Amino acid sequence: MQPSIEVRGLRKRYGRTVAVDRLTFAVKPGEVTGFVGPNGAGKSTTMRLILGLDTPDEGDALVDGVAYRSLRTPLVRVGALLDAAALHPGRRARDHLLWMAHSNGLSRRRVDEVLEQVGLASVAKRRAGGFSLGMRQRLGIAGALLGDPPVLMFDEPVNGLDPEGIVWIRGLLRSLATEGRVIFVSSHLMSELEDTADHLLVLGRGRLIADTSVEKLRTAASGDRVDVRTSRRTDAMTLLANAGATVAAIDHELLTVNGLSGERIAGLLTGAGVPFSELRQHRASLEEAYMELTRDAVEFNVPTVRDA
Amino acid sequence: MMSAARDGFGQLLLAEWTKLRSVRRWVLALAALVVLSVGFSLFASAGSGTDSNKHPDFVVGPNGRPVADEFQFVHQPLTGDGSVVARVVSQQNSHAWAGAGVMIKDGTRSGSRYAALMVTPKHGVRLSANYEVSRAGRAGGVPRWLRLTRTGNSVTGYESTDGATWHKVGTVDMRGLPPTAEVGLFVSSPPKVVVTRSAGTTSVAEGPTTGTATFDSVRVDGAQATGSAVWQSDRVTQPHAQDTLEGVPDFKRRGGPSTGSTEANGVFTVTGSGEIGPRESPDDPVQAALFGILIGLMVIAAMGVLYMTSEFKRGMIRTTFVASPRRGRVLAAKAVVLGTTAFVLGLVATVVSFRLGLPLLRDGGFAPPAYPTPKLTEWPVLRAVVGTAAFVALIAVFALGVGAILRHSAGAITAVLALVILPAFVAIALPTTGALWLMRLTPAGGFAIQRAKPPSNMLAEAWSAIDPWAGLGVVFAYAVVALALAAWLLRRRDA
Amino acid sequence: MHAEWTKLRSVPSSAWLVLAAVAFTVALGAVVTASTNTRECPTPSTCVHDLAKVSLTGVRVGQVAIVVLAVLVMTNEYATRLIQTTLTAEPRRLVVLATKAVVVVTATMAAGALGVAGSLLAARGMLPGNGFTAANGYAVLSLADEPTRRAAIGTVLYLGLVALLSLGVATIVRDTAGAITTVLAALFAFPMLAMFVSDPRWHTRIEKYAPMDAGLAIQATRGLRGLPIGPWQGLGVLAAYAGAAVLVGAVLFRLRDA
Repeated sequence: MQPSIEVRGLRKRYGRTVAVDRLTFAVKPGEVTGFVGPNGAGKSTTMRLILGLDTPDEGDALVDGVAYRSLRTPLVRVGALLDAAALHPGRRARDHLLWMAHSNGLSRRRVDEVLEQVGLASVAKRRAGGFSLGMRQRLGIAGALLGDPPVLMFDEPVNGLDPEGIVWIRGLLRSLATEGRVIFVSSHLMSELEDTADHLLVLGRGRLIADTSVEKLRTAASGDRVDVRTSRRTDAMTLLANAGATVAAIDHELLTVNGLSGERIAGLLTGAGVPFSELRQHRASLEEAYMELTRDAVEFNVPTVRDA
Repeated sequence: MMSAARDGFGQLLLAEWTKLRSVRRWVLALAALVVLSVGFSLFASAGSGTDSNKHPDFVVGPNGRPVADEFQFVHQPLTGDGSVVARVVSQQNSHAWAGAGVMIKDGTRSGSRYAALMVTPKHGVRLSANYEVSRAGRAGGVPRWLRLTRTGNSVTGYESTDGATWHKVGTVDMRGLPPTAEVGLFVSSPPKVVVTRSAGTTSVAEGPTTGTATFDSVRVDGAQATGSAVWQSDRVTQPHAQDTLEGVPDFKRRGGPSTGSTEANGVFTVTGSGEIGPRESPDDPVQAALFGILIGLMVIAAMGVLYMTSEFKRGMIRTTFVASPRRGRVLAAKAVVLGTTAFVLGLVATVVSFRLGLPLLRDGGFAPPAYPTPKLTEWPVLRAVVGTAAFVALIAVFALGVGAILRHSAGAITAVLALVILPAFVAIALPTTGALWLMRLTPAGGFAIQRAKPPSNMLAEAWSAIDPWAGLGVVFAYAVVALALAAWLLRRRDA
Repeated sequence: MHAEWTKLRSVPSSAWLVLAAVAFTVALGAVVTASTNTRECPTPSTCVHDLAKVSLTGVRVGQVAIVVLAVLVMTNEYATRLIQTTLTAEPRRLVVLATKAVVVVTATMAAGALGVAGSLLAARGMLPGNGFTAANGYAVLSLADEPTRRAAIGTVLYLGLVALLSLGVATIVRDTAGAITTVLAALFAFPMLAMFVSDPRWHTRIEKYAPMDAGLAIQATRGLRGLPIGPWQGLGVLAAYAGAAVLVGAVLFRLRDA
């Protein structure tokens, strides 16, 4: 069976606050799925609900088709990093992983392997209380990898990592996805996921705003705007407008063109003998797209962007 | 991709054990549990003293233990096999355990071997021997026919309401009784003890009672009985200490009750005072030797709470429940690991305390004959030593449960310590029944398991009045209820 | 000072603890007073009961809440790392410790005064019903009576010293569980032991040197000559323990990293 995470109609309220509101999505294997939304959007709650830590008021969350709480040795099915500070400060790093391994009957060798994998082998005998946030983050990741599970969930894994650590975790997430695993990573910053995620779930105020691939979101945000730099501005404008595009002049050399692909524009200009020194497909950053989406979610009740 | 994994309670135990042993503070606290308990026990042992042997209020029985042996004896010698029969016509209700009946005894020395068959005002017919055996016959009081028959080294008691149909009460082994023994009638009436507690003082007042009984149809049969031997009346007496018990005000013993016997037309009227039976002081050197475990209990209470609440701090519990989603089993594993650890450490502490404390107590006067040397092989001593370790384990589990319920260290530790320690302080200020109920209803009753002597309400520490198992049972109940509530809440609450 | 007061007040458990201290003191005092009667008191001069002391028994239980309160004032800051904020706001550490001490002792003594007043009032109401009437020769409990006044004021001071002791231990240990356990053990283990230790020499030692036993000598109003330690000397012993704890705590507080 393909590893998966599936969430259907999930709803959870704490007192009067609705943390998660009728959430439905599925996470597929073989790609990195980013789970983004502003602080307080319900990302961590959703993860806790998937892991059976909190009980949903409505709906259900399934891992590989079953509820997490019915798993017998969950560490070999799902690995999770929730909170890097969730450690007893008096415990050595290795002992922290050792009790986790024992609880699922995993071997001691696995403990040493994951310590090596996250680069903590040299400090394995040190007490976790003395670790920096980055080291704790690595220790948490080691715990998630312990059972070598096909499904991995990371809640804000980049927090506290230094630049080198960030590069490391991006590589790790990509390679884990390449191995065919489900990789579900949350972040409140789109920029952290920009180069890592293949697919995105955008959450705002407990609701799903977007469930889309990174490429599509980027394209949607970018539109099909193309910047053209030419010395014969008027000729180019006429030509492209006649071909059905909307053209605007930015300055005396630069035009922005909407409604035609870059290839088509290049063909038209070349065919008419209009010279151009630059032809650039405009790329909106994901951050812009995300800001756009979440701002809408806060201010208006826009319909969900959907493509599965 | 999947690693080899095993699911099982054993795995969970190993995980929880790893958690326990890998926090240095906890390991130090557990070591401190043993060291402090032993140290405080030695302190308690060194501080305990008694002068019971210098001012005895007992005689030494055939088994070397202190006994009470005081009554009025109307007797004649009997050599070899034979029997003594009498009908108790009337008996004064001077004490529920007053005795009137027939006896065979090795002379008239207080503390010597005897077998006695008696009727009592409230407890029916009893056959007692050598201060150890006390066997119940049928219920009911006077009038009653009683017969003791000696056959070699055994003595058998029979009783009858009409003198025709006899019921066997029992046979006792009387090895050591010389061929010629004294047989006859006796009357005993134990002293009344009044214990009052109020405003933090326990006072014990003890006063003698005197009882009278009449007998007829008295006959001694035997191979060598003369039939016409002269009856002799003697008061068998033992020493009395002026100040035998703790507490104020001490009872002032009056000049001594007037006792004796008269005979007219074969009807004997016997008046006696005193008690026949074991007389061990309620003071218990075994508990003094084990008492330091009090500190151990405080340490394990804190440990038990922390072992749980540390999980809630910083969200550790989420890591735990992600690894083991079946929460009840996690709690059970914690309870087993902590309980076992506490039991083992408690046992080390109690055994060491017992070994090291006894010589100190002996120096303080807790020595034979008033205080026979306690041995680990004796059941009550073993019960105290092992049971105290169990007490530690149960408090640990109780604390674990309270920690899971309250999820807050300060509150949970205070609640547990208050429940274990404060009742003892409240109890000394309460009347006897109130104190008794407090011990039956709070974990403080668990201290009763430290006692190797029968319950007594004559001591300042209220727990000594309840049965050791009852005390430990209360703690057990607290632990089970706390754990059950904790399991329910853990499953129900979001982690 | 104001800041510390706000901190103490804004934690809801503080109010509960203060309330618990008062309630337990009065309630237990009343129960014990109710069980006191003239049976052991043939005449006022031969009475075994020290009525002022009996009515103030409740502080033995009430002080537990004070211990928790005083410990939490310090250890809560370590548990939540608030201590770093506190020390950033006021880098003079001894000032921080001193203000904490003043605040917690003030709160404690206020609670103590309420508890003592409540206990004495309850006793005044109940004792005549138990036979301790003026007609039988028993004076009414009154603060006009010098020994009773000493017992009352001394008990309030006793609670203040217990708070200081707890604060000192908490500063040394920096851990809620450890500090509460240590203080409660130091207070209660010895009187528990005294319950059945039979050697009078050891009894005397415990009454002279154990913090709770010595400190509560201040409650005695009769038979002072028979006591192993005088009322004020006894309170002095407790003060010495509390002072030592606070001193060691202060030195460590200055030297250690927050």
